[in-house]
Amino acid sequence: MTYHFDWSTLWTGQSGGWLLQGVITTLQIFAVGLIIAIVLGICAGALRTVPIAPLRWLASSYVEFFRNVPLLVWMFFGYFSVPPLLPQAMQDWLFDHGAEFWAAVFALGVYHGARFSEVMRAGIQSIPKTQLEAALSTGLTVGQAYRLIIIPVALRLIIPPATNETVNLLKNSSVALTIGVAELTFQTRQIETYTAKAFEALAAGTVIYLALCLTIASIMARVERRVAIPGLIVQGHTGTS
Amino acid sequence: MKLLVAFLVAVVLATETTNLSFAESTLEKIDKSGTFVVGTRTGSPPFAFVNKNNEWVGFSINLVEQGILPALSKKLNKQIKLEKKESTVPTRIPLLTSNAVDLIAETMTDTQVRREQVDFSLTFFITGAQFLVRKGSPVKGIQSIAGKRVAAQQGSTNAKILREKVPNAKLVEFQDQPAAFQALSQRQVDAYTNDGIQLAGLKAKAPKPDDWTVVGDFFSYDPYAMAMRKNDSDFRLVVNVGLMDAISSGLYFDLYEKWFGAKGEVPYPLTPENKRFLQLQVVPK
Amino acid sequence: MDFHVISNNFVFLIAQGFFGIGAFTGGTLRLAVPAIILGSTLGIILGLARLSPSPWLYGPAKVYVEFFRGVPLVMVIFWFWFIIPTLIGKSLPEYAVALTAFVVFEAAYLAEIVRAGIQSVARGQVEAAIATGLSKKQLMRHVILPQALRNMIPALVTQFIVLLKDTSLASIIGYVDLTKAAQIVNNREIRPFELYLFIAIVYWLCSYAMSRYARRLESSLSV
Repeated sequence: MTYHFDWSTLWTGQSGGWLLQGVITTLQIFAVGLIIAIVLGICAGALRTVPIAPLRWLASSYVEFFRNVPLLVWMFFGYFSVPPLLPQAMQDWLFDHGAEFWAAVFALGVYHGARFSEVMRAGIQSIPKTQLEAALSTGLTVGQAYRLIIIPVALRLIIPPATNETVNLLKNSSVALTIGVAELTFQTRQIETYTAKAFEALAAGTVIYLALCLTIASIMARVERRVAIPGLIVQGHTGTS
Repeated sequence: MKLLVAFLVAVVLATETTNLSFAESTLEKIDKSGTFVVGTRTGSPPFAFVNKNNEWVGFSINLVEQGILPALSKKLNKQIKLEKKESTVPTRIPLLTSNAVDLIAETMTDTQVRREQVDFSLTFFITGAQFLVRKGSPVKGIQSIAGKRVAAQQGSTNAKILREKVPNAKLVEFQDQPAAFQALSQRQVDAYTNDGIQLAGLKAKAPKPDDWTVVGDFFSYDPYAMAMRKNDSDFRLVVNVGLMDAISSGLYFDLYEKWFGAKGEVPYPLTPENKRFLQLQVVPK
Repeated sequence: MDFHVISNNFVFLIAQGFFGIGAFTGGTLRLAVPAIILGSTLGIILGLARLSPSPWLYGPAKVYVEFFRGVPLVMVIFWFWFIIPTLIGKSLPEYAVALTAFVVFEAAYLAEIVRAGIQSVARGQVEAAIATGLSKKQLMRHVILPQALRNMIPALVTQFIVLLKDTSLASIIGYVDLTKAAQIVNNREIRPFELYLFIAIVYWLCSYAMSRYARRLESSLSV
């Protein structure tokens, strides 16, 4: 039994096209999932720190439940368990417009939203209480204080752990293959099925993921430098791993 | 970072000039480890599936346990243990070529293209591709499938043929049969294409069998065979002898009756011409 | 909504899926516990290597950590599932594949936690210890590691919880963990809502228990 390495299978025939389609799909679910996760994360993270108890409890329940269940379970849940509960019109629309895509971004969004909220919460809590007190004493409401002072500062503080979570989201997009999303890992399996070149296909996928992760990290580092507030010193970790 | 890139480049260069090869044949491998590893399905009734008692059973599994394993033990002169691993359409050939399993015994169609990557045993079942739809669906076969959402298993012959014959049908590929069937039962697709017998099996085992119909003429010819690594004639001989003995001794037909007979899990009568075909495969000793 | 599917298959789901006792190769705990132990061991070695002044230790450790932190776990699982048997010429049981993939992958993350934990021990401690005449080894054993471990506990437990959740990905290669067990039952009964909700609750209970334990551990160990 001999395995012949043949790197050209990656660009001859259909493989190249499949890889490209896979990358595009991965970036699509990454982008939409990220937007959902950031919105949920900022809201839930902030709500976990406000002085109003019912809101805190609501946000905490969301975070604790979604964070402690595997992403794979949320993918199955989003694809198999949720659609039958929706109104028929929505179901029809979903199935005509790539239900698996929306199930995947739903799962990624709520799961990483819970994780982002922890990062956000830690960031907000690392801002001295005096900031909020000062803001309130100038006549701002709690909502305004958060919107204009606390959250903008927190967002800058959390860039390193947020970068980590963003990279995690990109890597977790690979789990979507289990519900039939034709993302990058799915396509490496596709190439492998049709050409039997497992090593080359997996290597190509691995290299592309590495490149994407490093790109995100360097973009975020640049963003951090551009939005930095002079004089605001970041002390070590502000988030969970 | 640079170290990482250097490492990866080194790997690519190293592999460009090397081939990985093993002198060990499958029989030697089984002899040394004492275990015969078979790749089979968990969701393809009645060939290989998990029943209500959560036991892993099926027609293909029985053929291996009762037909091929004895032949193997006799050839190697020792008791060989059978180990089952789950295989699916996209994973079965890689599992074989990577030595993770020795034989694929499930619902794999023997095709010329696949023979470039693996060797096949004798044919042990004959069927063709059809569609599974909800009762009363407007889909009646491959002629009415254009523009509809159709589920299939990633890498299956059905997916390939459908892609070629009906390019404007919206093909949604799943990792395995249960996922595809679930999509169908939740109306996420209009039809599910697979080999007729598997669709009949799914229908029989579904919570509400009367909700489903198998439609369409066979739009492909699907002879099932067991797959093994290429250029391993000694092992292939043992597998074929096992199957031939099962057919000539009547074991095959007993198993067929158990799973596909009138009182079987999925009634699917054996046509006289198919029976003759199976019997003619048994060459004289 | 019919929860009988849970009660009918409860033994299979929990005994086989969660604990690994049954006819199939599986068990979430059977994978998670050894993975945590072995992964931590490898993680500590890598973490210390990362802090080593010698480039022969520092270099490979850095490449290792950067590599595994930049690829999805799904990919790593596929690597071990397909490539390793090809390289060594024989088949590996799913358990070995899954365990190896998890240990190798999680060690990269644990290494970073170890490194950060050790670096977080105040310099003053190190200087004082050296000033009292402790050797480097004694310094590590009696001063740095105990304090580092205390600092690391929250991050370590978080990572262990992540590892527990990641075991669900072993289902992709057919390892019958809790998620795969639910899939097997669902394939037959088609009751995704009840089944996936059930396993979500089981995972949640475990994670919650682990984080409560960690909080207790942290407060009982604090100086």
